Amino acid sequence: MKKNYLYFVKRKLGTRLCFQFFLAALILGSIPQNVLAETPTTSLLSAVELIQSRVVSGTVTDDTGSALPGVNILEKGTTNGTVSDTNGKFRISVASSESVLVFSFVGTVTQQVTVGSRDDVSVQLASDAQTLSEIVVVGYGTQEKKDVTGSVASVKSDDFNKGIINSPEQLLQGKVSGVNITSASGEPGSAQRITIRGVGSMRAGVTPLFVVDGMILDNSGTGGAINPLSFLNPQDIETMDVLKDASATAIYGTRGANGVILITTKKGKSGKSTINYSSSIGISKAANKIDVFGADEFRKKVVEVGGVLTDLGSATNWQDEIMRTAYTQNHNLGFSGGTDNLTYFASLGLQDQDGILKNSNLKRYTGRVNLHQKGLGGRLQIDFNMNATNTVSTRPPIESLLGTALSLNPTYPAYDQDGKPSVFGDAFNPLLQLKLYDDITNTTRIIGNISPSFEIIKGLVYKLNFGIDNSSSDRDIQNKPSTTPFQIGDLNSYFTNNRNKMIENYLTYALTKGEHNINVLAGHSYQRIFVQSRHWGITKFADTGIEPRYNPGLGQQLNLVDNPPSGGTAVTELQSFFGRINYSFRDRYLFTATVRSDGSSRFGGNNKYGTFPSFSAGWRLSDEPFMESLPVSNLKLRAGWGQTGNQEFPGKQTQAVVTSSLSGSTSYPLDNGTTYIPGIAYSRLANPSLQWETSTQSNIGVDFGFLSGALTGTIDYFNKVSTNVLASVTVPDPINVVPEYYVNVKNMKIINKGLELALDYKLNVGNDFKFGVGANITFISNTVKDAPFKLLTTGSASGSGLTSATINGYVNGEPIGTFYMKDFIGIDANGLSKFRDANNDNQDTADDRIAAGSALPNKLFNFYTSAGYKGFDLSISLNGVSGNKIYNNTANTNFYKAHLAKSLNTTSIATEFPNESLTNPAAVSTRYLEDGSFLRLNNATLGYNFNPTMIGMAKWITALRLSVTGQNLFVITKYTGYDPEVNTDRTVNSVTSFGIDYNSYPKPRTLVIGLNVSF
Amino acid sequence: MLLFIGIMLVNCTDLQEEVLDESFTGGATADQIAPGTLVPAYAVLPGLFQHTNYFALQQISTDEAILPYRGGTDWGDNGIYIDMHRHTYTPAHVRLKDAWNAISQGQARALVAIQELASIPGETAQLYQAEARGLRAYYSMLMLDLFGVIFVKEKASDVSAVLRGNEAVEYIKNELLAIEPIVSNSVGPGRISQGAVWGLLSRLYLNAPVYRDPYATSFDFTAADMDKVIEYTTKIISSGQYQLSPEYFEIFDDENHTNKELIFAVDQRAELNGHNRMAYFSLSGDQFPLPAFNRANGTDGPGITSDFYQSWVQAYGADDPADMDPRFFKKNLNIPADSCISGANFEINRGILRGQQYGLLTTANGQPFTLCADGVSFKIGKLHNITRADKTKLVNFTEMIDFTTEGSGYSTGYRVEKYEFSKKSDTGRNKGDADIIIVRYADAYLMRAEAKLRKNDAAGALADVNTVRAARTARVVPPALSTMTLDILYRERGFEFYWEMLRRTDMIRFGKYEGTWTEKTDSDVKKRLFPIPQSAIDGASGTPGYLVQNESY
Repeated sequence: MKKNYLYFVKRKLGTRLCFQFFLAALILGSIPQNVLAETPTTSLLSAVELIQSRVVSGTVTDDTGSALPGVNILEKGTTNGTVSDTNGKFRISVASSESVLVFSFVGTVTQQVTVGSRDDVSVQLASDAQTLSEIVVVGYGTQEKKDVTGSVASVKSDDFNKGIINSPEQLLQGKVSGVNITSASGEPGSAQRITIRGVGSMRAGVTPLFVVDGMILDNSGTGGAINPLSFLNPQDIETMDVLKDASATAIYGTRGANGVILITTKKGKSGKSTINYSSSIGISKAANKIDVFGADEFRKKVVEVGGVLTDLGSATNWQDEIMRTAYTQNHNLGFSGGTDNLTYFASLGLQDQDGILKNSNLKRYTGRVNLHQKGLGGRLQIDFNMNATNTVSTRPPIESLLGTALSLNPTYPAYDQDGKPSVFGDAFNPLLQLKLYDDITNTTRIIGNISPSFEIIKGLVYKLNFGIDNSSSDRDIQNKPSTTPFQIGDLNSYFTNNRNKMIENYLTYALTKGEHNINVLAGHSYQRIFVQSRHWGITKFADTGIEPRYNPGLGQQLNLVDNPPSGGTAVTELQSFFGRINYSFRDRYLFTATVRSDGSSRFGGNNKYGTFPSFSAGWRLSDEPFMESLPVSNLKLRAGWGQTGNQEFPGKQTQAVVTSSLSGSTSYPLDNGTTYIPGIAYSRLANPSLQWETSTQSNIGVDFGFLSGALTGTIDYFNKVSTNVLASVTVPDPINVVPEYYVNVKNMKIINKGLELALDYKLNVGNDFKFGVGANITFISNTVKDAPFKLLTTGSASGSGLTSATINGYVNGEPIGTFYMKDFIGIDANGLSKFRDANNDNQDTADDRIAAGSALPNKLFNFYTSAGYKGFDLSISLNGVSGNKIYNNTANTNFYKAHLAKSLNTTSIATEFPNESLTNPAAVSTRYLEDGSFLRLNNATLGYNFNPTMIGMAKWITALRLSVTGQNLFVITKYTGYDPEVNTDRTVNSVTSFGIDYNSYPKPRTLVIGLNVSF
Repeated sequence: MLLFIGIMLVNCTDLQEEVLDESFTGGATADQIAPGTLVPAYAVLPGLFQHTNYFALQQISTDEAILPYRGGTDWGDNGIYIDMHRHTYTPAHVRLKDAWNAISQGQARALVAIQELASIPGETAQLYQAEARGLRAYYSMLMLDLFGVIFVKEKASDVSAVLRGNEAVEYIKNELLAIEPIVSNSVGPGRISQGAVWGLLSRLYLNAPVYRDPYATSFDFTAADMDKVIEYTTKIISSGQYQLSPEYFEIFDDENHTNKELIFAVDQRAELNGHNRMAYFSLSGDQFPLPAFNRANGTDGPGITSDFYQSWVQAYGADDPADMDPRFFKKNLNIPADSCISGANFEINRGILRGQQYGLLTTANGQPFTLCADGVSFKIGKLHNITRADKTKLVNFTEMIDFTTEGSGYSTGYRVEKYEFSKKSDTGRNKGDADIIIVRYADAYLMRAEAKLRKNDAAGALADVNTVRAARTARVVPPALSTMTLDILYRERGFEFYWEMLRRTDMIRFGKYEGTWTEKTDSDVKKRLFPIPQSAIDGASGTPGYLVQNESY
């Protein structure tokens, strides 16, 4: 690489790096005028110039004729070179007329021109889609893929998952090896659990860090139950880059341990004005229903098992009653363009998505403006990004609604003679639940950042990045008052405010000298995150026909016992110093070293700052002369090591707290009257030594390309060890004011090891036919080692009869997400469950629980293929996992024999053992543990691109496309629940649960018809 | 360049954590500090004395109470109550952990109060400090009784010494003796008073032989210990402060705080969200005791075992115990042929409930109660399982209750409604008002009787027992006993204190805990002590040898 990488993104990706500084006017005074007056080329090469015999000059343009700055120009076979200026102009002294100039620029086909007798050697560089896709965004900058020494994957908008998308993680699902994305449910906007290279923590803080156009997001929720990232309009996203190993993520220090996802939004291009309108209609239906008995079969089965049949004579499919065919519409208007000095991109988006459960809806309105302004002859550049989103989510009472629909007697009529939902004594008609309950969250999130940059002297760029991310939401949960059935109305309102402010200053310096190329980054960052939540409630609304949320004043009961208000506020401050050096020699020996020193207010006084280093190296073997004869287009070896941190734990843990409060658990009457004294009690212990979790990761990888780049691939092996694991543990001496407190668990390690493979093959047959196929596979293992505790249980089971039972348990030698329960081996002579006597003590006790598998898959695989013929294109992607299990808590709670015997509906799981007793408890055991492997036809899109000329509309339209997308077309799995991709959060004491399915929102199968037109 | 550095400096921060939602000092006013420091130590008690906490440990593990997996849907809780009844509990048992944590927290709060109150001048602070010491001793006694171990330290920052056996008994005794002269006699039953100290000392001496050698084949009840029991119970009796309640069930009423039988109790208040779990736990889910609240029902929790019921039958022979002993039953509800009753007059029966239950009628949980033709009074009738699938089934409590299919129905087992169902409880679970008894006057007599009997003074013991019997004069008076043996005294303690969270301790002391009763056959003496919760063992695992698990777990 012989070019100043600080320049090269400007044209294609816009504005990620290298732009100059908004206070330039002030600084100008401090820089000698002659520096400003000189052209960039002269200063470095003036010494060489003196002995050169010829000078040629010219302009470099792209295939649209626009000037192309930052193009590397090298006299072949020498170290003599220059770079085109902001107007695409260059000047270079060459040895002779035989000299060959090599023009190279990212995203274009490298061109070689023999100087000959010309003085003007202007060239036009053809764009090269292949190379363009090789740009990756790394922290605080971009790099060419070929120069990257860490493990980084980049996904461009063309490759994103299609269809109805309500959060950006979904765009990535199945696209990157080592990344596991699981949606918690099929609800519109449901939370996504995304882990990169395994779970390295016991707490909820396993989500990667998200950075949108340089703005570092905070992972706290924004109120309501929907995914906080759903504020981004997927159509605004240009690329998503996933930093996987420590050498890539260490630049994010204490927040890098879970990987980093960098999201870059679309930017305008100068001289190219476009308006794009797209619209789609989606039709969704439940992909799968749980196979509970129909009315006739139910009547037979209840009697068969010796139960008491309650038969009200109807035949109701309760799942059908609460579900619907759901429609989604999406409209998106984007426009972009610009002049040489100003480019813009703006968009408006609207998505109105109905969920397949009735009363379930998500509306999202987004607006975005991205501007890029140049000044001072290109030395000052300002980027401005602004996004405003309003989402309104409406939710039914999902868990109870599904629980009731699955187990309610199918002979009960859904409606009475008057066509109103029937009222039953022993059950709440789910249709009434829908009618009498609302959960509505309205969230507004505005995120904006401005980042001016200024080139102080050639190669030295100062950049400021200032961003604000502000979201506020209000959520109303109301039970509406009703006379029949009788229900007292109540209202609970939750208000959440998040303010995240960030300011970063950094300098980059790029120097190319002969075969040496150095880039240096040094900077400072400060971030303050403020999260506030408040809750009020009032009860006892009379049935006046007025919804409680419209007038809380109609409630009649408000006191500190029944509905005390609650809330909390947390402020986190981070201050960081970071630096990076990239060095390459002869364009094929690559080295990167980074360091970030992070200070966080969450850490104790004894450990305010942590330092996170990383080192990595790459060797571009394919550029070695001895490789020239081999049919290898690319071969690069990479190796890296680094440390990162994880500071995602609740704030204020380093300080003890004494609370004076009037509550049942702290106050007590001391006189015989009715005055109550607020109790002054500790509610938390201090641990001033508390610090981040440390993740130490080594990575070895190889990138390769054969068949002139048609077949490319990557293999990575990683070993990631988390130490200083943060957990809330039982205090050593039981006589402590609180039973548990946060510590860094001594000696404990969580080890994630894995192998990632990605292969991609592209074939072009003539001009009309294109074909591509690819796959990525991840093998991963997770182990807990050397923990001082014997067992840490989590994953509380849900449902009556299962209070306080746990499903997950973490023990040494087993992975995080392990299921820890009794091993069911059948039904004994008394009709009761038989469990394996795992500890051989001839007793059936809790000590017989075993590690029965893990919720974390050990293999993740994704396959995709695409084909194009003339205007048609087709792409299909499949994804799957294996080696994992799912705990079917839905079946455990609903589908057992005694349930059926009492005229509650079940599946045939309940009648599996004919001699099972009707009182056999449905205890948590491996009986309800199922294989979680699946293969899903996740996405298939067929599109047709009209030729505007052929349809006679070329005057007005530049592109017109119609497409049909199917999402979640089929799933191959043995799992008997709605969908194997599921995760109901049942965290206990801040230890995260995994792999539990309890009345989870079913996944839809969706058909989307889309229209896309550009002007 | 200077400006650039300037921007850097502007953003520099010392990273001191800013806390906006918590006050580290508590923010109490000066006159609130002394009482405010003490009350948290007491405030642990209502939570500890919940149905699923201390009650489960002391009652479900015994022959007095059994909690089957009702109808295969309720109270399965992954077998924890079955394990408790069968003595197959393990260190992972979640209710043991809950009790352990609550007791530890109470003790820790008492310790903080002792430390803080030392620096506050005045007699009140001194009194509060003595009460805090008394509470610490009481919590230690609970820990010793349940887990055979106590933790002793004088400064919150120290690491506790771990004591067992006689050392533990001596520590608790000395603590109680140290505060005996300081604590007041006029603070009411909700606080540590002199009477409470005497009661706890009596209980400690009575059980000291067990605490010293918990797995002994027979306990060594020394004359010295028994004399101390007699000394302290006599102090209570001769103090003249207490009185046996003529109406037995008034001891357990909402308004029991002023009942003179109470010596030491958890002073619950609806305004502090005291719980109604003692009254709610055993009732049927189809029993609605309060006309004012149509969601306040029972839960079909535990019933008494048939073994315990048979001890009444044996005592009264052909007579129905309900007719013979006022402690067994109190009829509040008279059912004529066509029942209409005003809300004010409706009151459910108390004591041990058998057979068909009558009460307020409704069509479903939460629906309005059925009214009579006058539109005002409530219709009373036979209760059915309206909240269950089979609405035709009657709420008809049977003697038989066990873990079989038939024994696990919704209506199996005779139920206990000893505490009044709090009139303020709109959910049936919350807003309890009754004080929950820890030590009451009758126990002073029965403890003294036991000490006398263990010193072979059967006549003295008989007199004390009959004093208690004779005092229940409000309705039928139980007949006086004519002989006294340990078995009779043990049975009498069951009649007097059933479901008052004393049974496990009594069973162990009388050597009955290894016996066989409904669904329980385990005879391992090691089960007399519960296992130390695994979480505590794990928490202490950083210091090897510090906290040793009890034998056989």
